[in-house]
Amino acid sequence: MLEINDLNAGYGFLQVLWNVSMRVEKGEFVALVGPNGAGKSTTLKTIAGLLAPMSGEIVLNGEAIGGMEAHRVSSVKGISFISESLNLFTGMSVHENLLLGAYIIQDQARIQEGLDIVYQLFARLKERRNQLAGTLSGGERKMLAIGRGIMSAPDLLLVDEPSLGLAPNLTMVVFDALEQLRQSGVTILLVEQNVNSTLKITDRAYVLEQGQIAMEGSSRELLKNEHVRSAYLGI
Amino acid sequence: MTQSTKTMPSESIPATLEVPPESRLQYINRMLGVSRLGLVLVILLAALPFIPPFNREDLLRWMIGATLIAAQAIAFDFTTGYINVVNFGFAAFLGVGAYTSALLAVELGVSPWIGIFAGVVPAAVLGFFTGVLTLRLRGIFAALMSWFVGLALLGIARNWVDLTRGPLGLSAPRFLETSSNRPYFYIIFAMMIVTYVVLRWITRSHIGLAFRALGQNIDAARASGINPTFYRVLNFTVQCAFAGWLGGFYAHYYGILTPQVMATSHTVEVLAIAYVGGRGSIWGGAFVAFPFIFFFEWLRSTLTDLPGLHLVLYGVLLILVMIFYPGGVAQLYELLKDLVSRFRPDPVSTTKVTK
Amino acid sequence: MQATQTQESFITDLLRKVFSAAGLTILLTLVIAGATVFIAGPFVLINAIVTGGMWALMAAGLSLVFGVMNIVNFAHGEFFMVGTLVAYFVFTPLSAHLKTNPSPLLSAVAPFLGILAAALVGALLGAVIEKTVFLQLRKRTKEQWIMNSFLLTVGLSVIIINGVQILWGTNFKGITRYWEIPPFDILGVTVSVDRAVVFFLAMATMLLFWYFLRNTGTGRAIRAVSQDETGARMVGIDMNRIQVLTMALSSALAALAGASLLFMFPSYPTVGLKPLYIAWYVVILVGMGNVAGALVGGFIVALLQTMTSYFIGPGWEDVIPTAFVMLILLVKPSGLFGSEVKGIHER
Repeated sequence: MLEINDLNAGYGFLQVLWNVSMRVEKGEFVALVGPNGAGKSTTLKTIAGLLAPMSGEIVLNGEAIGGMEAHRVSSVKGISFISESLNLFTGMSVHENLLLGAYIIQDQARIQEGLDIVYQLFARLKERRNQLAGTLSGGERKMLAIGRGIMSAPDLLLVDEPSLGLAPNLTMVVFDALEQLRQSGVTILLVEQNVNSTLKITDRAYVLEQGQIAMEGSSRELLKNEHVRSAYLGI
Repeated sequence: MTQSTKTMPSESIPATLEVPPESRLQYINRMLGVSRLGLVLVILLAALPFIPPFNREDLLRWMIGATLIAAQAIAFDFTTGYINVVNFGFAAFLGVGAYTSALLAVELGVSPWIGIFAGVVPAAVLGFFTGVLTLRLRGIFAALMSWFVGLALLGIARNWVDLTRGPLGLSAPRFLETSSNRPYFYIIFAMMIVTYVVLRWITRSHIGLAFRALGQNIDAARASGINPTFYRVLNFTVQCAFAGWLGGFYAHYYGILTPQVMATSHTVEVLAIAYVGGRGSIWGGAFVAFPFIFFFEWLRSTLTDLPGLHLVLYGVLLILVMIFYPGGVAQLYELLKDLVSRFRPDPVSTTKVTK
Repeated sequence: MQATQTQESFITDLLRKVFSAAGLTILLTLVIAGATVFIAGPFVLINAIVTGGMWALMAAGLSLVFGVMNIVNFAHGEFFMVGTLVAYFVFTPLSAHLKTNPSPLLSAVAPFLGILAAALVGALLGAVIEKTVFLQLRKRTKEQWIMNSFLLTVGLSVIIINGVQILWGTNFKGITRYWEIPPFDILGVTVSVDRAVVFFLAMATMLLFWYFLRNTGTGRAIRAVSQDETGARMVGIDMNRIQVLTMALSSALAALAGASLLFMFPSYPTVGLKPLYIAWYVVILVGMGNVAGALVGGFIVALLQTMTSYFIGPGWEDVIPTAFVMLILLVKPSGLFGSEVKGIHER
């Protein structure tokens, strides 16, 4: 479904990604792990269209989308990006944020469906539907960001470090939600620092170090891998 | 890695690589930042009023106007190009100096030659206050604040009719009895030179360095020990002092003063010229002022049925410069200088290094 | 137990709102308005209300453009001026026609045609400016955007003012009144029909504008862009489209204000300067980017102006509010109602 070939990307004169190649098949749950500053967020941002690649291609279902405008990647190509900084509309309520998540959808029935799914997934959000997003707690904001991201019924979900700064029980809720989404057919590319939990729920994983793919393979295999265990699992 | 076994014997280092100590003349030249070309142009400008057709009264009037704007552009760039704040109320400070000098002459009989220096005082004081007012404000808000100061001053000038005679206008005695423009040109020319020399000197000194640091990154400057309060207020005060001084000339040359002299549109004229000339160059606006004013005055006199066309061109040029060439004419000049130096033989490189 | 708790928190919440800077300002304004009516008579208030509504619309447009596009628009007043111009050129021939062919329906509707035409022209002009000038600047400037775009609008202002002057001259193009209906009495005050209609028009436009921003998808998208640009792009909002729309909307509001007030402000090239800095006073008073506040602030500044004009003298209405706004900028730069815009302070 998604193919990245020899991607070079960065910010201005600072190149972050060097010849990165990856693929995500339809329905897969793929992880992108690695240390801080490796370029994981940069990868997602480039796919999402927030960053233009320096060279290389990003191919979605056979169509090259590298350099496409972010709003088109989201609306036309069915890719939803949930950023690390969340980018919530802090002056608007939970409900309004979700409605904006469904910006590209015209059909009221589908929007309502989306709301139902999100409120079912995250009961806390339903309780606080009229509360301003800026006043939510950290965990609630993560939930809202994910909820907003799925309102557009995306085919591909790019999630950037959802568990960052979350208490373990909330991390469980978030990962559960991702699992459920995956079960309903959404393809997910997950960037995480919490390598242990991530490898346990994903099918495959890539390890990104210093802007290059250091390792790839099935999650189960990587869990057993020496380097991964010593570098990321502290074993 | 193999190292070169040959080391250069000390006696074959070309003498031209040693840097000779800077002579006094070179120091002055560096501080003034005047190239040979610049010097030639200034001398030409000084001689112009004796060269026909520039000895005509109407053209002399244009030259005076241009020189006045050039001097203003220099003062304007002193703040905009260095501490990176646009004093959008600039014309009002000129007006304060103008009114002060005019009123001193009218009410107390003070000679204009002294009056213009007296006019510096309230302008500088107001500049000081404006600098203080804008201290905590970021870029655009500082500009807006200075705009409001200008508007307030304009309003006061318009309404305090007892003092300023408001829109009816205040008559001020002129510098000299003569109706000829030529001596007036030399007055304003001298004032422009003084403005340039002083402000240029300051910008090339360590004070100027502090200004530039503030303009680039106020936090880094503060971390380096530069006190933003002191330098920002200093810059504003000096700029407004010069504006007030130049205002004195305005009063005693044009002879009549209305609150319109403080209008925002006058600040915009100076601003446009300073930007087109090149932000931060100090000389750019002054250089550009002459062809511009001449062209605009010529337009005004030939196309009398299209008043304000020159202002439209001001606006268009400002927009074009902002979008396409923010560095202005000064940047263009640097570019040309670069190109020229590439074609000129370099004395150092032609010296053979002897082994 | 539960009921009293929610009651209590409701009351404390209400008290907090009333005693906030915003609340106190509104309270103070109402008190002063009441006092003014008591001392000077309702006429001062009526004037303030009529112009206040239009200043509110202008300020709202200005705030919107700043919040969404990060542009400090110095040329905003020029849209007001264009509004007066269009209204004049639409209404005057209609008015002449009506003298020979009287028609009560057309007489009633004619001013609205002028106002509508003005709004449309304003919108078009704003859209064109965004698509030609701002878009180009956006492509080429990353840093110093705010200052550069501001200076660009200064250039635009000069071009528009002088362009209009060249094309249509500097003479005052005014009308005596929009509707030939004699003024009526309210509570002992004579109110002209023009003023009354303009007030209701301002209210209606405000409501429509508010509804649009709050409850429609596009309005929500505009608010989203002003709150988090990246987030807006992420949910599929087309930035270019929103920017054109915002600019058009802002200009339309300014032009509408100009057209509506043609009976008060005749059309001449520099007529937009005063509305410009009044709009800026409002925006700074309430807080940059605060559109809701701008709608209220318009009235506050109008009251301040009419009061200054009455108690101190006409002409001083330019100075006193200026000084007041400078005070605000000094003491509470984020405005009395709070600004969503960060980074006003230099730290």
